[in-house]
Amino acid sequence: MFRGPGVAIEIAQSLLALMLAPALVGLVRWIKARLQSRQGAPVWMPYAQLRRLFRKQVVVSPHASWVFHVAPFVVFGATLVVSLLVPIAVTPLPFNDVADLFTLVYLLMLATVFLALGGLDPGSAFGGMGSSREMTIAALSEPAVALAILSLAMVSGSTNLGEIAARTVADPAAALSPGYALAFVSLFIVMLAETGRLPVDNPSTHLELTMIHEAMVLEYSGPYLALLEWASWLKFFVFCVLASNLFVPWGLSTSLEPGALAVALATTLIKLVVLAAAVAVLETRVAKLRLFRVPELLAVSFVLGLLAAASSFALR
Amino acid sequence: MDHVFSHVAVLGSSGVLLCGIILLWRRSLPSYITAFRWQSITLAGLTAGVAYFGEDRNLYWVAAMILALKGLVMPRLLERMVRRFMADSEVRPYVNTASSLVISGVLVLLAYAAARPIQALATSPTRGGVPLALGLIFVSLFVIVSRRKAITQVIGFLMLENGIALLAVLGTYGVPLIVELGVFLDALMGFLVMQIFVYDIHDTFSTIDVDVLNRLKH
Repeated sequence: MFRGPGVAIEIAQSLLALMLAPALVGLVRWIKARLQSRQGAPVWMPYAQLRRLFRKQVVVSPHASWVFHVAPFVVFGATLVVSLLVPIAVTPLPFNDVADLFTLVYLLMLATVFLALGGLDPGSAFGGMGSSREMTIAALSEPAVALAILSLAMVSGSTNLGEIAARTVADPAAALSPGYALAFVSLFIVMLAETGRLPVDNPSTHLELTMIHEAMVLEYSGPYLALLEWASWLKFFVFCVLASNLFVPWGLSTSLEPGALAVALATTLIKLVVLAAAVAVLETRVAKLRLFRVPELLAVSFVLGLLAAASSFALR
Repeated sequence: MDHVFSHVAVLGSSGVLLCGIILLWRRSLPSYITAFRWQSITLAGLTAGVAYFGEDRNLYWVAAMILALKGLVMPRLLERMVRRFMADSEVRPYVNTASSLVISGVLVLLAYAAARPIQALATSPTRGGVPLALGLIFVSLFVIVSRRKAITQVIGFLMLENGIALLAVLGTYGVPLIVELGVFLDALMGFLVMQIFVYDIHDTFSTIDVDVLNRLKH
């Protein structure tokens, strides 16, 4: 544990995540555009989008209550707290005492619930539809996440994020064990569902009967919309960091030396770019699933989580 | 070295099992064939890995044959069959997709329970994959009974064959090459006979849905 400088690094890490999240989403969009042989908007486009939204005024429906005003802040705040907990470059940091996988999952769930409430509140038809879909998906993806966590916890003997990562750093071959591999695929599917990526929700459409995330934020405008968008990009960033640094934490630093830190940061960025490219390729290859097939996709994730837990249990 | 070997063996067999489970999720015959093809390719890769770590020259030949026969020839023949029955390529299983996924999960857990004594007795670094191979055998039997197209039953049979090959490779680093050759010939013959049967079923009943076979024709 590094007390004094640790806290500073922790906060710097989180700010870095906040700053890089739009670029990561921009990168996914750009790769996708190139794969579809379009010119594509530049990678920093999301920053411009945020600046534009923050400058605009908020238009609020007369039917909206205080929930509508609170929701963006809760969503953004909860996601920001999560970004403080994930191991981005260094692993045992002061906040690690509370960085439990269960804390993380339910902080994200808090954000999801408030987003759904914000969608329901103004009483528009689209918002209600989006919220009900989002809650359906959230309820189905939760058991899959729980099982994936269970299998990680069985291998490392703890549900603490830092300890899982540190355990795998100490024994790099563990990242090849079937428990990890299956849990990774399981968590990857859940990540696609939770962050509204393609087989479940189409992030690039607007005003379509099948949309989920866009339907919930339809009534929001100006800075509120900026906060919600930023929070959803940060959530994607956090899931990518989790997927890369929990399952393949090679290069993650366990000390505060500047050299090790620089290497850790560089490897994390490389892993993020690889993951972003994988998501972009996947999104170009697959079509959106019918809503009624989403439970089946999440059942795949659940079964993989179950197998991951079983094999970690058997190999212990 | 042994550590890496056992990781590779277990990882490869989970990959093979994963293809079998993905197959349960898919809906159309072409995607069934794709899943089978990837399963065979993974199996060939795993066999080559076992050959490398276990230092068994003969297993390379087996890997090459798996790749050629089950990774290239059989999928192509299956595709030709499917192209002929293009009209109905949707699978329509007896058990819906979500339940079959959960059932396959339970079957693999069962395989874990059943393989406990084997794992306790075996000392080879590949023993971690044995329950997964057993699980694949159970899952392919489930594919055979729960899907109603004749072709899906053929694919289930071929997957069962893959499962048994996987079990042989993991359990004893493969059987002697001459026996392996015999098994391949058997599988190929069985496949060809089944192919003729499927064509015949289609000619007689103008469908490959095995549900209508109990309907009298004349």
